[in-house]
Amino acid sequence: MDSEATPTATLQAENLGSRQRPPGVWRQSWYRFRRNRAGMLGLTLVSLVVLIAIFCPLLAPFDPSDQSAMLRGAARRAPDSIHLLGTDRNGYDVLSRMLYGARTALAVGLGAMAIASLIGVTIGGIAGYAGGMTDELLMRFAEFFMVIPVFIVILAVVRLFGIVVVGTWLENIPNLNLITIIVLLGCFEWPPIARMARAEFLRLKHAEFVEAAVCIGSRKRDILLRHILPNALPSLIVLVALGIGGAILAETMVSFLGFGDPKAVSWGQSLFFNYEALKVAPWAVLTPGTAIFLTVLGFNLLADGLTDAFNPRLRQ
Amino acid sequence: MGTARYIVRRLIFSAFLIIGVSIILFAMINAIGNPIEILLAERPGITDEIIESITQYYGLGGSVTDRYFTWLGAIIRFDFGTSIIYNLPVSEMLLTYGLETLKIQIPAILIALLVSVLISVLAATRQYSRIDFGVIAGAMVGHSLPGFLLGILLILLFSYWLGVLPSYGAYSTRNLLMDSMVIDGLWHMVLPVAMLAFFNTATLTLLLRASLVDVLRQDFITAARASGLPERRVVFGHALRNAFIPVLTYLGILFGLMLGTAPVTETVFTWPGLGALYIMAIQQLDYPLIMGATMIITFMLVTATLLTDIAYVIIDPRIRLA
Repeated sequence: MDSEATPTATLQAENLGSRQRPPGVWRQSWYRFRRNRAGMLGLTLVSLVVLIAIFCPLLAPFDPSDQSAMLRGAARRAPDSIHLLGTDRNGYDVLSRMLYGARTALAVGLGAMAIASLIGVTIGGIAGYAGGMTDELLMRFAEFFMVIPVFIVILAVVRLFGIVVVGTWLENIPNLNLITIIVLLGCFEWPPIARMARAEFLRLKHAEFVEAAVCIGSRKRDILLRHILPNALPSLIVLVALGIGGAILAETMVSFLGFGDPKAVSWGQSLFFNYEALKVAPWAVLTPGTAIFLTVLGFNLLADGLTDAFNPRLRQ
Repeated sequence: MGTARYIVRRLIFSAFLIIGVSIILFAMINAIGNPIEILLAERPGITDEIIESITQYYGLGGSVTDRYFTWLGAIIRFDFGTSIIYNLPVSEMLLTYGLETLKIQIPAILIALLVSVLISVLAATRQYSRIDFGVIAGAMVGHSLPGFLLGILLILLFSYWLGVLPSYGAYSTRNLLMDSMVIDGLWHMVLPVAMLAFFNTATLTLLLRASLVDVLRQDFITAARASGLPERRVVFGHALRNAFIPVLTYLGILFGLMLGTAPVTETVFTWPGLGALYIMAIQQLDYPLIMGATMIITFMLVTATLLTDIAYVIIDPRIRLA
């Protein structure tokens, strides 16, 4: 779009007279991002989820484990002035469970993508920088994970792992089931990141500033981590944003099928518990469902906006 | 490298993939111990004699590697063993349930292709118009809407509130609609197909529109227009064919995504397909069934990827075969 060039041009004009440094790539990207309405909507949605996750104890009218409505015979009650979004079949307050679910969702999304980024950048970075046979082997390995039915395999592993841990010290770890899901998602969702990291490391390996760093005798570690990696970050961040949404959705689906963490307050868990009562208490299903939808939409829009902000040329 | 060599290489890689998945799964299941022990873990109070006879019946004696090769040799003959819970041949079950899965997925992807072509042409030929933005926004929302949520909304609307479509199963349990198996089956297919078609349409439209916009800007389109071809032929004959190439590769991924999330779709609609079978198998730890269902799903997925890869190089000769 024609508006893309304007902010940068204005900035450069402003800076002509002064000795200020021109805005860096991050600042420039932010100026472009701010203009992107869809991206800003995404950022707003994501910020909202983060704020809810931080302040849910203040926002939630009930404790997420409060089942007292059940004792009062008020389970599956339609929304009213006490329970703003009604109660579910277990007597939980739907609104409170939804608010606390943001914590689990973010923990899953961030945790899984932290693991995936670590694996992906390491493997992709080595493949791109080393090249040759190493590259070939590592990328075939990545492709393997891209083609296998990841979701199906995760379901089986979660179920079987649940049996393996019975009677071992692992059993005492709180929320072990949730942690298993996070680790598994991380271990299976890294290939797109590895592919991107490989492409970026391959491209930057021959960049002038990297060759300059090689010439002045920088250590390999510094070249990789301080020169190449920061320049590869913009492309990687887009994938991480997309991946967070994807991981949250995956956890929801695992939980919805009944393989989630029964002790966790998660949206998927709420769906699982309440789906059978859909006809009687649709609010208990629609509330967590909407929360998932808005969160995933938020991360998708954010990623979309970031792509445009980091690569303005792609848009034309 | 020639196309034939490329295809052979992909075939070999696909075979490796399938074997790789089988090893991972086999190792995982056996990491817990003998499949019999897995069953015992949740079913206490079985005598040693019974365990012995079960081991004999299902051929679960011997070491892990022995059992793996016996199993591998058997599945080449499409013999997946006997289901422990249902006591039926796994291959027979996979066939029955697999057909039910394809029955909703293939129509869904065909409908999605047709609809997304029409919508994308509408949007791309009017770039940056209201219609275009509407299509992008709609496709983006549809792409982010989790499939199961859409399914739930469809059930609420058409089954519970309007009461016109069934919410579960592939056939009516009591009275068939119009006493016809075919009509009753189609009637039950509407909601699951609609859900899958909607999701696929959104994703395909996003891709196809972007690709079409890109192609329409190229010189050969201007040349085609300049030569006096009617606009309809320029768009549908020349532009669409070229815009389809990136979409084609995605079809394999999309099919894989549908197949991979079949457990969710089929749980929402209580559809008796492969995904539902798989869930039952892992819940009940029916080891031959878990192995069989995973292998079939992997096989279908790898085949879809392989076919799109091959179609890709045949359609677009510019692609460097690496």
